[in-house]
Amino acid sequence: MIEIILLVSAILFIFALKLFGRPSTAHRANTFAMLAMALAVFSAFNFDFSKYDSAFYITIVVSGLLGVLISKRVQMTQMPELVGLFNGFGGGASGAIAYVELSGNSLPISDVFVAIFSMVIGIFTFSGSLVAVMKLRGKLNNFNKKLADIFSVFLPAIILIPVVLEMDDLLIEFIILVSLIGGVIRVAVIGGADMPVVIAFLNSLSGIAAMSAGFIVNSIILIVAGALVGASGIILTLLMCTAMNRTLLDVLKGGFGGTAINNEYEKDPTSTSPEDVAIQLSYAESVVIVPGYGMAVAQAQAAVKELTNTLKDKNIEVKFAIHPVAGRMPGHMNVLLAEVDIDYEDMFTLEDINSEFSSTDVVMVLGANDVVNPLARTDEDSPIYGMPILDVDLAKQVIVIKRSMSPGYAGIANPLFINDNAKMLFTDAKEGLENIIKSFELV
Amino acid sequence: MEATFLLTLLITFLASFIGYELISKIPQTLHTPLMSGSNAISGITLIAAILIYPEVGESQLLKIIVLIAIAFATLNIVGGFSVTGRILEMFKKND
Repeated sequence: MIEIILLVSAILFIFALKLFGRPSTAHRANTFAMLAMALAVFSAFNFDFSKYDSAFYITIVVSGLLGVLISKRVQMTQMPELVGLFNGFGGGASGAIAYVELSGNSLPISDVFVAIFSMVIGIFTFSGSLVAVMKLRGKLNNFNKKLADIFSVFLPAIILIPVVLEMDDLLIEFIILVSLIGGVIRVAVIGGADMPVVIAFLNSLSGIAAMSAGFIVNSIILIVAGALVGASGIILTLLMCTAMNRTLLDVLKGGFGGTAINNEYEKDPTSTSPEDVAIQLSYAESVVIVPGYGMAVAQAQAAVKELTNTLKDKNIEVKFAIHPVAGRMPGHMNVLLAEVDIDYEDMFTLEDINSEFSSTDVVMVLGANDVVNPLARTDEDSPIYGMPILDVDLAKQVIVIKRSMSPGYAGIANPLFINDNAKMLFTDAKEGLENIIKSFELV
Repeated sequence: MEATFLLTLLITFLASFIGYELISKIPQTLHTPLMSGSNAISGITLIAAILIYPEVGESQLLKIIVLIAIAFATLNIVGGFSVTGRILEMFKKND
């Protein structure tokens, strides 16, 4: 009976993952996954609920309610932090389970390896995710890179400890400490704009930690579900890396960006006013909006929606061009735009829209910088050379809404800003859009 | 469910392969809900905690650590699915 429940659960998990792949079926995917999870958890009791005391049930109920409460109250703009936090909890749970198995029983040597692996990955995911959350809230600066590099050599090494040493409590505690610190400083050296990679990678690790916990307790469903998460997380991680033309190792090494390398311009940019932008837009037939992290920071998505409506009322075509690593987690911009009811049919990926820029009348860049920097195509010495960018400089006119000429994450000047077809509106994204909308009423 | 180690490895490989194949064509719009949903699934480690809880024996410390694991995993599962539902709700109303 239990076997059949588990089989159904595993099949449901696989279908859920499949359904996550299309916007029209994705909401059903969540239901499938929840059902699969409920069946899997139920089966773990093996119809014997009396083995568990009240402390057990109280913990489940209280933390479940807490989970619902947190997830309902958090604002959409804090979504990356929340995903990071929950992910850290999952990793921490696997790490704790591996610890209990290591210290409680005398495991066969092969299980000791798996348990240490699970413990290291789980605890690393836990502390790394918490640091990622702090980074996303802007509460942590970049950490000393050298120290982190020395430390990271330790991590793979400690998994091999059981080869040479008999496990004892002190050794296990030492491994825990190294994994905790390892997670903290590894993520701490990585800059904020690389967080889409980090979040996806930690997500994958929490799946791998769960999978290896499945090996220790001999649970096939745990192995299957953990492997599914681990594999899908790796896909997202690699997608994010490809979108930046960097390797995963390179991102994890950290130390990229954050400081201005060269931010000098040959000439002054042309600045513009909200009134002029409104006039420019009202004469356009096609407008492409490029949102970046600046839009998220300014919480400008409602203003974006309002401007979109205004333009569409004038029969102007509006599209959104979204770079895969815009924002702080995979798909961040899409979620923010969906929050204000912008149709996902209007959101375009880099591959789909790049050929259209040359025939676009006006492109509006909202708080994006490196992902529209033409140096990625032309300057072989540039740190972002080879990164796929949105070719907005090819459009007829470009308006960049940005608070100053300060460089983006890569720390380099963006010649787009002084291009002949570009004008700068120096203001915060939300304020700028609201002023443009106001000016429209006067046009 | 018990199986030999090799069979278990085969299952692991197949599951990873399926996960990789299913997700490799996912559109960018769904990156966040996918990540959030698979994040919730990683809380399935709760099963391991449920399985070992009756077996921890007398040690109060180990018992508390398993309870912490249970709390973390439950938070991960319930919170994760709930957030994913919220995100997907925003995509649904466009249909």
